Amino acid sequence: MDASELQPVEQFLAAHSPFDSLPAEVISRCAKNITVGYYSKASAFVEFDTQNPKLYIVRSGAFEVRDPDGVLVDRVAEGECFGFSTLLSGEKVVNKVAILEDGLVYHLPQAIFAQLRAEQRSFDQFFARAFAKRLRNEGRFKAKDLTTTSRITSIMCAKPIIVQAHASVIDAAKIMREHRVSSVLVIDNNKLVGILTDRDLRNRVIAEGLDVDTLVSQAMTVNPISTHANALVFETMLTMSEHNIHHLPVVDGNKAIGMITSTDILRAQRSQPLLLIGEIGRQGNIDSLIQVSKQIPLLLQNLISADARAEEIGRVLTSVTDALTRRLIELNQQILGKAPMAFCWLAFGSQGRQDQVACSDQDNGLLLAHEPDEFAAAYFEALTKAVCKGLDQCGYVYCPGDIMAQNPKWRLPLNQWKSLFKHWVLTPEPKALMHASIFFDMRPVFGPINLFSELQDDVLTSTKDNDIFLAGMAGNSLTESPPLGFFRKFVLERDGSEVKGMDLKHKGSALINDIARVYALSAGIKEVNTAKRIRALMDANIINRKDALNLADAHEFIAHMRLANQGYQVTNNLPVNNFLKPQHLSSLLRHQLRDAFKVVHDAQAGIKLKFLRSF
Amino acid sequence: MPTLWWLKFLLWRKKMTGLPEPLNQYLQAITPALSCTFHDAPLMAIDLEMTGLDPKNDQVISIGLVPIVKGEIPLAKAQHLMIAISGSVGQSATVHGIVDNQLHKALTLPEALAWFLSQTEGHILVAHHAPLDIQFIQQQLVRCFGHSIPLVFIDTLAIEKKRRLQQQDILQQGSLRLGASRARYHLPVYSAHNALVDALSCAELLLAQVAAMGDVKKLTVKKLIDVIR
Repeated sequence: MDASELQPVEQFLAAHSPFDSLPAEVISRCAKNITVGYYSKASAFVEFDTQNPKLYIVRSGAFEVRDPDGVLVDRVAEGECFGFSTLLSGEKVVNKVAILEDGLVYHLPQAIFAQLRAEQRSFDQFFARAFAKRLRNEGRFKAKDLTTTSRITSIMCAKPIIVQAHASVIDAAKIMREHRVSSVLVIDNNKLVGILTDRDLRNRVIAEGLDVDTLVSQAMTVNPISTHANALVFETMLTMSEHNIHHLPVVDGNKAIGMITSTDILRAQRSQPLLLIGEIGRQGNIDSLIQVSKQIPLLLQNLISADARAEEIGRVLTSVTDALTRRLIELNQQILGKAPMAFCWLAFGSQGRQDQVACSDQDNGLLLAHEPDEFAAAYFEALTKAVCKGLDQCGYVYCPGDIMAQNPKWRLPLNQWKSLFKHWVLTPEPKALMHASIFFDMRPVFGPINLFSELQDDVLTSTKDNDIFLAGMAGNSLTESPPLGFFRKFVLERDGSEVKGMDLKHKGSALINDIARVYALSAGIKEVNTAKRIRALMDANIINRKDALNLADAHEFIAHMRLANQGYQVTNNLPVNNFLKPQHLSSLLRHQLRDAFKVVHDAQAGIKLKFLRSF
Repeated sequence: MPTLWWLKFLLWRKKMTGLPEPLNQYLQAITPALSCTFHDAPLMAIDLEMTGLDPKNDQVISIGLVPIVKGEIPLAKAQHLMIAISGSVGQSATVHGIVDNQLHKALTLPEALAWFLSQTEGHILVAHHAPLDIQFIQQQLVRCFGHSIPLVFIDTLAIEKKRRLQQQDILQQGSLRLGASRARYHLPVYSAHNALVDALSCAELLLAQVAAMGDVKKLTVKKLIDVIR
């Protein structure tokens, strides 16, 4: 008989990684060796056959892998696998697999699994990575020290200054003077052959009384100690102190790709968030504040390179912005004098949500305790103009939509803010809804908290259970959809003939922010940070636990991909944007990203059902 | 009450009437399976594709066989067989996607029946809306051997109907069809339809139904067969 007719099984395998990379005849061989089982919630856990370990490929249903302590290791759904840890490690099964949703599972025997790993590199790699990811997940919440875990590539100078070995020392010295560096790399035939430092020029040329036409190759330090691109900052510090040197070429093979100095390392440490915030608070004038803010991009690079969670990065960067804003207000108040009334500096949008990333623009406003007289109006105009200008100089460019405290439209007393919000809620036209998505994510950065609470309480009372407004917000949040087409293929954006990639901000993170906002406003939840909103919604039973956890994971994952992508763009001197090209991803990451988008898609469907069904 | 007394009676009565040897042997072989648990019983999911729905006049075009062993389906043992028929496949080709030229490696009816009997001997048959498939097989037996025999089977449609009625569901038209039944157990949708895929679908459905009943270890085949009564 012809078993290649097991078409549904083969099609399924061919559509899911890692089987998708296998040739058709291998897939057919897999299908022939599979046994099919069905697992029901009624039996709670999957019963493992300890004699015959196998790979479990989930055809339908959902499963949860937990370690012996009950800690969640992995969640497995359609097209994903479990049981591979045992197959790879050869150790007996220790994890428990809970059945969350009834489903069909394909069992692939150990012999075939081993055969495939031996024959197919991609197959082997897929499971090795999945296994590694699990191990990493286990240590996911361990604290990370930036200095030790950052990679050298994030802080090195990527365009090292070089001289040819056959150049004269006077030419080398001129190059060093021109670039204001104390060392240069010496290249011969594109290979790194040595390093020439100030000290070499002093000790080996001047002190020896040699001529300025002496060749660089005679004065340089031959075969210098070097480090490789993947080294950790920590390892590099060790190398430097062991050999008592301050300059270290970074090599890839025998090609020089960069240079790292003890100053670079010192600077990297200084950009640790706490130190940076402390430094901001100490600055006595605006110019020095601007100087300090120059470290912010480096901080971001360090955080990304240390593989910090995207949510943490957003919060760290936002606290730096907050500190900077506060210091700017204080410094300007020293110039302008004490404020004539209580006021609150409001942050909107990404600063409000605490998910700022590179090149954020400012979104802010001013809340005054009561109607200002002429003097007060002039005072606050001067203050806001100065602070917004300071932020601009610190790298937070002016808001293109002019949503800034220096714009009199957004510098209002409490009663006017209240009526403004009321107007948006009662007449949810497109413009009002667009405003709502920015203004409803508000957070006080400076000023008395009770002034802010009065405004927020008022706003939330008017939005809570307000069906018409919520339907408008929900509709607005559904205008974009995640970049997934039929058959879960990525949809890429194009700019003429050039493929730009997927917009992870507008078709990913922003959609989840929108979803969390609609739910939060419907329930009167005060949190504005998306992750916190989702957690609060889960605690209040507004979103069920599973969906909430999935949405939070998807939010973190997409944000992480976006940051990692920007980190990649910065290190490779590419323009920084939100577009990710899927071909830069491993198949495992592609797979996860697809799942994350699927979660967003499902959550959008949920929003539609909950808030739009009566229309 | 003795186990499946009615079935055993039928089997006994048939043995008396001087059956041709292959059929007699087939009947003898089924008896041990009747006292097994679901987990231990040899089960064989079957599906037939026919030229129509009338066992007397229509013919069987293909047979799919998918065994269930120890509560799992070994795909290696799934089989698919084409049968040569007199005349053209006709209208049903559009349903089954079988066209005449695919039938060139098909077996003759007697060859196919001999194969069917040897493959399913000692197995309890499983089918969705089983009585139709069973009648067709019995009719083919009459054509070849001049005799029919009782066949022991589990009907997944009958199980589904009973389960739904127990849950006091209102049975909507079409809600007991194979696809609709599978959907209730989160079983995947298969776009292809042929005897093999449908036999596999039916086998999976039985696993799901049994899992949903709970206490799989103690479940006897008797209970599953008895559903049709």
